[in-house]
Amino acid sequence: MIELEVSRLNKKFGGNHVLKDVSFEIKGAEMIGLIGPNGAGKTTLTNVLDGAVKPNSGTVYLNGKRIDQLPPFEIAKTGLGRTFQVTRSFRRMTVLENLYVPALALGKSHTGNEVKEQALEVLEFLTMEHLRNEYARALSGGQQKLLELGRLLMLDPDIIILDEPFAGVHPKLMEVIYDYIRRANAQGKAMIIISHQMDSIFALCERLLVLNYGDLIADGTPEQVKKDPVVIEAYLGTTEDRSGTGHGDEAEQS
Amino acid sequence: MGIALLAFFFAFPFVYSAGNYDYIMHICIVGFFYAILASSWSMLAGYAGQFSFGHMAFMGLGAYTAALFCHYFFISPEPTGICTEFALGSNYLIIKNPIGVTSTTLTQDCLAQAMEKWDGAVTVSPMPVWLGVILGTLVGGIFGLLIGLLVLPLRAAYLALFTLGFSEILRATISAEIQITRGQAGIELPGLFENGITIAGHYFGKTDKIPPYFVMFFLLLGCLAILYWLSRSRFGLFVRALREDQDAAAALGVNTTRYKILVFVITSMMAASAGAVQAHYVTIITPNNLMILQMSLVVAMAVIAGVENFVAAAIGAILIEFTLEMLRTSFNIGGIEIDMTLWRLVFFGVVLMLTLRFARNGLLVPVINYFSRGHVAAETVVRRKQSESSEGASTAPGVQGGSS
Repeated sequence: MIELEVSRLNKKFGGNHVLKDVSFEIKGAEMIGLIGPNGAGKTTLTNVLDGAVKPNSGTVYLNGKRIDQLPPFEIAKTGLGRTFQVTRSFRRMTVLENLYVPALALGKSHTGNEVKEQALEVLEFLTMEHLRNEYARALSGGQQKLLELGRLLMLDPDIIILDEPFAGVHPKLMEVIYDYIRRANAQGKAMIIISHQMDSIFALCERLLVLNYGDLIADGTPEQVKKDPVVIEAYLGTTEDRSGTGHGDEAEQS
Repeated sequence: MGIALLAFFFAFPFVYSAGNYDYIMHICIVGFFYAILASSWSMLAGYAGQFSFGHMAFMGLGAYTAALFCHYFFISPEPTGICTEFALGSNYLIIKNPIGVTSTTLTQDCLAQAMEKWDGAVTVSPMPVWLGVILGTLVGGIFGLLIGLLVLPLRAAYLALFTLGFSEILRATISAEIQITRGQAGIELPGLFENGITIAGHYFGKTDKIPPYFVMFFLLLGCLAILYWLSRSRFGLFVRALREDQDAAAALGVNTTRYKILVFVITSMMAASAGAVQAHYVTIITPNNLMILQMSLVVAMAVIAGVENFVAAAIGAILIEFTLEMLRTSFNIGGIEIDMTLWRLVFFGVVLMLTLRFARNGLLVPVINYFSRGHVAAETVVRRKQSESSEGASTAPGVQGGSS
């Protein structure tokens, strides 16, 4: 069973204490939303989990293996994959080549058709099969987001962190991303979704983690979190507040 | 196309017979030398995105290693008693003492003194040229490894400045260490085939151009074969991913540290091997060969042809070397003599600027892409139409079937 144990993570950038004793656990194929205002530390937490940033203190164990001091490539191979807030496709490589990178990094053979067939299946699922030989730079922003998701399918990690997967995405592509998330979760992957789009978060997630300026202020079901006065005060606001603006629907970056 | 080019260069030395044969052959050899440098730099900068300006320094390391090896190391059946020497089976490895650029009888080196004492009774053998070339290549690789490790955290302009600094430090050190390197005077080396060579019953003399032509040509082919293999392997895929986005590549499981160092080591070894062979061909190496102007020439050759394709860079280097040599011919316009020995570099600079402004992929890469990727756009349109028609027939909106 997938097991992620995050224990008392701290991260400071100069005098800015971005993560303060953050602890939580994931057991099994949970669907988790990670929310919080801009500057809450969501992306920093993602960067610490994937090894791009080393914590000042605290530990992270993935399936019993300590990963907080490992380089990102080893963490990826251990079973944690992530997308980026700003899409980071390999722009001067074809769509297929983008998908080959994680598969070959896992040690799969580049000769033969196994990887290609897997990549084509992924593209078909993402409705991008016709774009297979185009350079990634020729894709629209939404398609590049899908390509990032496709790369994660090729990496096949146990835990997938999606950083703002719905930001700036057309409703039709949103359906594809919803389907992607549900399918990946149904296949036994734990999902952590970072988003300001609360409708999507509430529709998909069974558990929410709320960060507020480095503190994990809530960890519970969407219903519990919605009613949590600390969360309402710090992030969600009152029902009246939310009805006016559709809180966070713009693709704000934290 | 490739086969035609190969056939052309194989046949050229045997079918070309004009009066300037040696000159044209020399241009070809130098063209091959620059082709190795430009194509290996293309792998480093164009594929892996590591814009190093230290490539000529690695060339110089290979050349100077080969030169110092030939200059200071000898095999003798008798010990000199005055040089540093080690028993090597029944012979002795003699290491000559450095005496700088002076050569008077008072300061002559220990081996020269011993030879004088022996008065021709003992024959001292120089080290094999090929051993020096191999050593030069290995030293290039070792320094490539060290520089690769040092530049790991550096990107873009910082990497370029660091490698530029390394190159200049190396050149300054070689210039300053007159005692060992003979400074600006340079070190003379034996020719590639100092005593001539017989191939298929035909004897080629020391100054014959055909043997060095084929040595450099085969070295170029060897480098291109390795680069081709690398570019088609996971190495090629990973270094391109590294170029595009180092963090994203690492997050997808690519050991970016390993591939960044590997690409430095491999391309440095190629530059060093070319430098060692070239030094033996021209029989001298001086610090001026490491000047930034020389590095700029390699960069310009790769950029004008297309830095993201090592074959284009190699072909471009040969074409540009020829063009630059052909442009040496001065001419008169209305009684005014145009001295092309100077103006040719201006012409070269203008071509570089125009290429950077209007054809950032270089002049040859678009041609190669036309043949290799010209069908992609039409293919995408056809596939999209097929996809739309099947989507229209399907009842499920948005996502088609298939599994991940």
